[in-house]
Amino acid sequence: MPATPRQRQVLRYLPVLPAVVLLLVFLAGPVLWAFQASLTNAALTGRHARNPEWVGLENYQRLAQDPVFPLSLGLTVLFVAGSAILGQNVLGLALAVLMRRARPAVSATVGTAVVAAWVLPEIVAAFAAYAFFSRDGTLNQLLGRLGVPDTDWLYAAPMAAAVLANVWRGTAFSMLVYRAALNSVPAELLEAAHMDGAGPWQRFAFITLPVIRGSIATNLMLVTLQTLAVFTLIWVMTAGGPANASTTLPVLAYQEAFKFGDIGYGTAVATVLIIIGAVFGAAYLRLLREQKP
Amino acid sequence: MTAPVRERRPLYPAARRRTGREPGSAWADLVLVLIGVCFLLPLLWLVLGSLDPAAGHATRIPERPGLDNFAAVFTPALLFRPLWNSLLLSAGTGAVTLAAAVLAAYPLSRYRSRFNNPFMYGILFGTCLPVTAIMVPVYGLFVQLRLLDSPPATVLFLAATSLPMAIWMTRNFMDSVPLEVEEAAWVDGASRLGALRSIVLPLMRPGLGVVFIFVFIQAWGNFFVPFVLLLSEDRQPAAVSIFSFFGQHGAVAYGQLAAFSILYSIPVLALYVLVARGSGNAMALAGAVRG
Amino acid sequence: MLRRVSKTVSLMAAAVLALAACTPADPAGGNRTIKVAYQKTDSFTALDSMFQDAKKEFEAANQGVTVELQPIQANDDDYGTKLALALRSPSTAPDVFYEDTFKVRSDVDAGYLLNLDSRLAGWGEWTKFDAGAKEAGKADDGGTYALPLGTDTRAIWYNKKVFQAAGVSLPWRPSSWQDILDTARKIKASNPDVIPFNMYAGKGTGEGTVMQGFYELLYGTGTGLYDKESRKWVVGSAGFKDSLTFLQTLYRENLAVTPAQALDPNVWKKVFGEWFPKAQLGATVEGSYAPSFWQKGGSYEWPAYGEEMGVAPFPTQNGAAPGAVSMSGGWTLAVGAETKQPDLAFNFLTTALNAKNSLAFTVASSQIAVRTDVASDPGYQSANPFVKDVSGLVAVTNYRPATSEYPRISAAVQEATEAVITGNRTPEQAAADYDTAVAGIVGGDKTIRK
Repeated sequence: MPATPRQRQVLRYLPVLPAVVLLLVFLAGPVLWAFQASLTNAALTGRHARNPEWVGLENYQRLAQDPVFPLSLGLTVLFVAGSAILGQNVLGLALAVLMRRARPAVSATVGTAVVAAWVLPEIVAAFAAYAFFSRDGTLNQLLGRLGVPDTDWLYAAPMAAAVLANVWRGTAFSMLVYRAALNSVPAELLEAAHMDGAGPWQRFAFITLPVIRGSIATNLMLVTLQTLAVFTLIWVMTAGGPANASTTLPVLAYQEAFKFGDIGYGTAVATVLIIIGAVFGAAYLRLLREQKP
Repeated sequence: MTAPVRERRPLYPAARRRTGREPGSAWADLVLVLIGVCFLLPLLWLVLGSLDPAAGHATRIPERPGLDNFAAVFTPALLFRPLWNSLLLSAGTGAVTLAAAVLAAYPLSRYRSRFNNPFMYGILFGTCLPVTAIMVPVYGLFVQLRLLDSPPATVLFLAATSLPMAIWMTRNFMDSVPLEVEEAAWVDGASRLGALRSIVLPLMRPGLGVVFIFVFIQAWGNFFVPFVLLLSEDRQPAAVSIFSFFGQHGAVAYGQLAAFSILYSIPVLALYVLVARGSGNAMALAGAVRG
Repeated sequence: MLRRVSKTVSLMAAAVLALAACTPADPAGGNRTIKVAYQKTDSFTALDSMFQDAKKEFEAANQGVTVELQPIQANDDDYGTKLALALRSPSTAPDVFYEDTFKVRSDVDAGYLLNLDSRLAGWGEWTKFDAGAKEAGKADDGGTYALPLGTDTRAIWYNKKVFQAAGVSLPWRPSSWQDILDTARKIKASNPDVIPFNMYAGKGTGEGTVMQGFYELLYGTGTGLYDKESRKWVVGSAGFKDSLTFLQTLYRENLAVTPAQALDPNVWKKVFGEWFPKAQLGATVEGSYAPSFWQKGGSYEWPAYGEEMGVAPFPTQNGAAPGAVSMSGGWTLAVGAETKQPDLAFNFLTTALNAKNSLAFTVASSQIAVRTDVASDPGYQSANPFVKDVSGLVAVTNYRPATSEYPRISAAVQEATEAVITGNRTPEQAAADYDTAVAGIVGGDKTIRK
C-alpha cells in the first residue's frame, strides 16, 4: 500500500531519530534541568543539598548585583572577539592566502605545525602554554634577547596570554575552512579582474572576500560558539586569576558550582552564557541571510 | 618579482589552476615560516622538556638528555591502562557519533523541509555550552538510570555532546556529493538507505574520516566527563590520570609531565596523520560550507 | 521500507535495553558489603596503604563481609566534587568516606553524615583521642559526626644557614610581630638576594593563604573570624586591619616574594623544592606536614633538612598569652547517613583508626597524632626531627569555623590580602570591602562588630 505524503515525510526523516534521541536524553534534558536549577538554590552541600527551594529570579538578581559578573561578561566577550573573531579567523584566512603563494614544501610543513597544536589534547596545550608564559618560560627567553625584562605574563596580562594560547590552539580549523573556500573561488573571475588592472589587494577585497562570504560567516559562527565554551585552557593557565582578571563566564560558572557548591548560581551563569551564544548566533544568521541572493 | 623576462603567460595558467597556487613570492614563504615557528615553539619545549631529567619552564637543550622521564611514566597503571581506556572511549564515541550523524545528515541534506534550518541552527547552540555546566544533572540522570561507572553509557553521553558539530560537518560533506549519482542508483532499483550505503558513503569517505578524527580528539582530551561518570580506578582514561599527576597539593614534575603529555598525544597525532593522508583534500573540505 | 524501518527501530530499542542490562549490578544489593571512598594521588598513597591493611584485617575478623575500596584519583577540589556528587543519592553514597574537616558542618546540614555519638559511647578507644582533635568532627548541635584521622598545625619554618649568615641568634623564637619584621629587615640588609620571610597571600594559594598566613596573624590579635557564642561573623575588627597592615608592610618593603610570585598557585613548590634547599629563603609559614616534602619518597627529597631547618611557633601580635598561634585543619573519616550497614561501617571505622593503623598512617603522611597512645609511640616521635615541636602547638591551635558559607568567606579574606599586597587597596579599604562582602554572604544580621 503506498504511503501517504505525510507518512512519506515522516519515514524520510526517520534516520534522524537516533541523533535526536541522544540529543534529547543527554543534552536537552540536562540543559532544561540546568535552567530549572538556576531558579532554585540547589547546592552540592549544606542545607539545600537535599532540599533545594524555589527562589525564582533571585540568582539572576544576585548576578546582576555581583561586581564579578560584568567583569566576567566583558572578559568573555573580549576573549571571543580577540581569539576567535579576530585571532583564529583572520590568522586562518591569512595562512590560507599565504599558502596559495608559497612553496608547497613550506606550506605543508607550516600546515602540519599549525594542525599539531590543534590536535593536542586541551590539557597538554594548556600546560604547554602555561610554561611558555611563565616568568622563566620561553616567551621571556625570546624577549630577553631583545632586552625586555622578565615579566610574569600570567600575572601581568592573563587575558592576553589566554587569547594568544587559544589562537595558537584553534587556528587550524579556520585555516582548513578557508583553504577549501579559497579553492572554490573561480579562477576566471580573478583572471578577469587582473585583466581589468586590479591589483592583488583589490582582487582580494572585491572578488575573493565576497565570494567566500558564506564560508566566513559560517566559520565565524562555529568558531565563536566553540570559543565561548572554552574552560580547561584558561583554568589550567590562570585559574581565573589574578583577582578574577581572567575569569570568563565558563570559569565563573565552574567556580560557583563546584568550588562554592552553589549549583543554582552556577547554572544561572551558564544560562547567561547560552543567551550570549544565541545573540552571537543571531548576528551571524543575519550576516548569512544577507548574502543570499 | 624575480621572474625572468619571458613570453607573456596568463596569470593563472591551467597547470597552476589545478594545484591551486598563485604566482609564488618569497615573502609569502618568509611570513609563513615565521608563523610556523611561532606555532612550533611551545611544542618544542614539550619535546625538549620530556628528554630533560631536570626540566623547567624554559626551552633549552637538555644538559644530560635521557629517557628517564619516559621510563618513569611508562608503567601499566599510569600509562597503559589509561591509554587503553581512552582509546575505547574515544573510538566508541567517534563511531557512535559518526553513525548517528550520517543517518541524521542524510535527510537534512537530501530533502527540503522547513524544519531543516531551525533544526540545524537549534542544535548548533549545543556547541557553546561548557559541559561542566550540565554535569550535575547528567550525574543525576546516570544515577537514576543506573548507568554510572559504565563506559558504554559514557560513550553515549560523549557522542551526544559531539553530535551538533558532527551533524553540521557531515551534512556539508554530504552536500558536496551530487544528487545525480544517487538518482542513477535509484533508477537501477536501489533503495534510499541502500544507495546511501553503497554510493554516497564511499564518495564521502575522506569527509567521514575528518568527522571521526574531530570527535576523537575532543573525546580524547575530555577530563571532566569521564571523571564524574566513571567510578572505578581501572576505567579512567588518560585525561584523568594526567590531571591526577598534579598530585595532592599540585606537585608537578615538569619533565615527567612533558613525557606523559607526549605519550598521551602520540595516538591522536598518529590517527590524524593516518586520516589526513587517506582523506587528501578532505580536511580542507571540512569547511566547504554553504550558508 | 516500512518494515525495514520498524526493524531498525526495534533493534535500537533492543540495544538500549541490552545496554541497561550490561551495566554493572548495583553492589548495594550485596548484603555484607561496605563501600569506602577516599582520595589517592601520586604523592598521597598513605591512606590507600592504610585502608588496604585495614581491609585485610577487617575481612579476616568478619567472615562473609567484603570491603570495597573506591580510591578517587584527584586533587582536593576535584575529590570534594566527586564525593559531593556521590553523596547526593543513597544508591551512590559510600558507607565510609574520607572527609575534610572543612566540610563536616555543611555536610551535616545536608544530612549526609551519620551521628556517631551512641556508637562512640560503646567504643573504649575513643577516650584515647585528643580532646581538641575531637572538635574537628563535631557539628553545631554538639554531636560527633566524623572521627579525626590526624591533624596538623602551622609554624614558622626557617633556614638556619640563612639566619646564621645574617647574624640572627639561633634557635630563633620571635615573640611578637615586630620581632619578625626586625629579623626580616636584618636578613634583607645582610643579603639582598635572599627572600627574608614568605607569607602566602592572594587567591592563588587559595585556602593555604589563609591557613598558613592570614589566620596566624588574625588569631594572634585576640579576635577571630567567627564569634562562637553569638554564632555571628566578626566584622570591623582592629585585628583584621592590623593583620592586613602587617602583610602590606612585609610586601612593600620587599621582605617577602613579589606580588606576582605570591599569586602563582605553584609558588609553594619553589619554596620547598628550590629556595629552602638552596638557602635562598629565610623563613616561611607552613603546615606541620612540611617534612613530608623533604623526606625520603617526598616530592622534593632533601636529606639534610633535619640539620638545616628549624621550627618556631608563630607569635601573637604583641606577645600576649598564650604566646603562640596555630591553625589546624586535617581530615576525618565519616559514615554515610543513609548507609544500609551502619554497624559494619562503624566497626570498619574503628579498625581503620586502631592504634596500629593510625600510627602507620600518621607517620607516612607526616600528620600529628590524634591518639594519645600514638603520640607517645617512639616510632611516631622519631618520624622526623620536628615532631615534638609541631605537636606541642596543638595546645594553642584554632579551628576554622567551617560552616557552609565558609568557602565564600575564605575567598573574601583571600581577596582582601591580594588587594593589600598588590597595593590596590589600603588595609582600611580592604577591611571595609571584606565587611561588605561578609554581610552579602551571610546577611547583615549574622555579623557582629568587635
